[in-house]
Amino acid sequence: MDELVEAFAARRPSGLEQVYALWSRLFFSVARHAISDSARAEDCVHDALVRVWRSPNRFAGNREMLKAYLVTCVRNESLAMLRSEGRRDARELKAARLAPVTLVDPPAVDPVETQRLQAALGRLPEEQRKALTLAYYGNKTHIEIAQELNAPLGTIKSRISMAMRKLQTDLASAAGSRS
Amino acid sequence: MDHLGEDAELYPLGILDDDEARNVERHVALCSECADRVAQAQSVAGSLAAALTLATPSPALERRLRESARPQLGAAKARAGIFRFALAAAIALAFLGLGWQALVLHEQLKAEDVALVTMVHSHFNHVSMAPESANPVAAKILYARDGSWVYIIADKPGGSLHAIAETATGTVDLGVLTSTGETASLLVHPRKRIRSMVLQRAGTNVASAKLAY
Repeated sequence: MDELVEAFAARRPSGLEQVYALWSRLFFSVARHAISDSARAEDCVHDALVRVWRSPNRFAGNREMLKAYLVTCVRNESLAMLRSEGRRDARELKAARLAPVTLVDPPAVDPVETQRLQAALGRLPEEQRKALTLAYYGNKTHIEIAQELNAPLGTIKSRISMAMRKLQTDLASAAGSRS
Repeated sequence: MDHLGEDAELYPLGILDDDEARNVERHVALCSECADRVAQAQSVAGSLAAALTLATPSPALERRLRESARPQLGAAKARAGIFRFALAAAIALAFLGLGWQALVLHEQLKAEDVALVTMVHSHFNHVSMAPESANPVAAKILYARDGSWVYIIADKPGGSLHAIAETATGTVDLGVLTSTGETASLLVHPRKRIRSMVLQRAGTNVASAKLAY
């Protein structure tokens, strides 16, 4: 097992510290995308990381899988705070509405990966790309997306699911051709 | 067993409602095929994060994490020493107004020790629970400012006390307080930050409190 993953899974403080040192800006960027207030966004990062770190048995995998898992945890923590505490104030609603069209705003978390991602998103059918970008960059629920796009909920779920699977194939293929 | 279907891809995006998300979590614990599918979708969601606007956290966040990562419980207990224990005990006693003897005679001394050491390593708030019903209980809640733990202490519980918490996503049953007859206590590490809590005795609310962070 990867040394970092092993330290994290064993609840060693060094595991949490290394994870934070490597990906703190990624985690915080994910939280800030949902929560406009920096202090609350930091709370989300802290709470998500500490909770996962204290429950190491829930994870087994490589370093990239750990990163993806933690990103999901931070995002879910942030969205839960956003949705449950009635925090959709004017600033956050504005940010949520703007998010799908600010995809290319610099500086991005990972400019190289962003280019690859944009190319892959561009190859998706329009309705799938729209549903996915509203979900991820717009911080909207599937129900909100169905209302906004005036489409049945089942259709929206299918579009997002297909978009995710196509992206996975596309990104994996691009990664394979680079290596 | 039916597999997850489209929810496997939707879960890492955080767009499912609470019931749907919990269903995914329960299912992947039992189904390796769907667990793999969710892991792949998490990887895609991680790639989507690459295009977010870069933001840098304050140095305070790293300090908080380091503080939270300090060895606790068993490891900390071994080196805590009598001074640290006495300090934490004094804090707890000051809040509750209990005598030393009540603590020393506590059958769950080990659990108390764990709770006290947890407090020593944390910044925490406390709140008195408001009495409810004709036969209320005197209780306090000590809780970490970051919401990572909650310690409920009741004086003369008068029977089995059950703690029910409300979080942002619903109601959580925290279980029954451990009682010696004279006192009862419960230390929990909730998954979600607790907003309010009630204590029930035989199904009747006997105390309640809201937690402010």
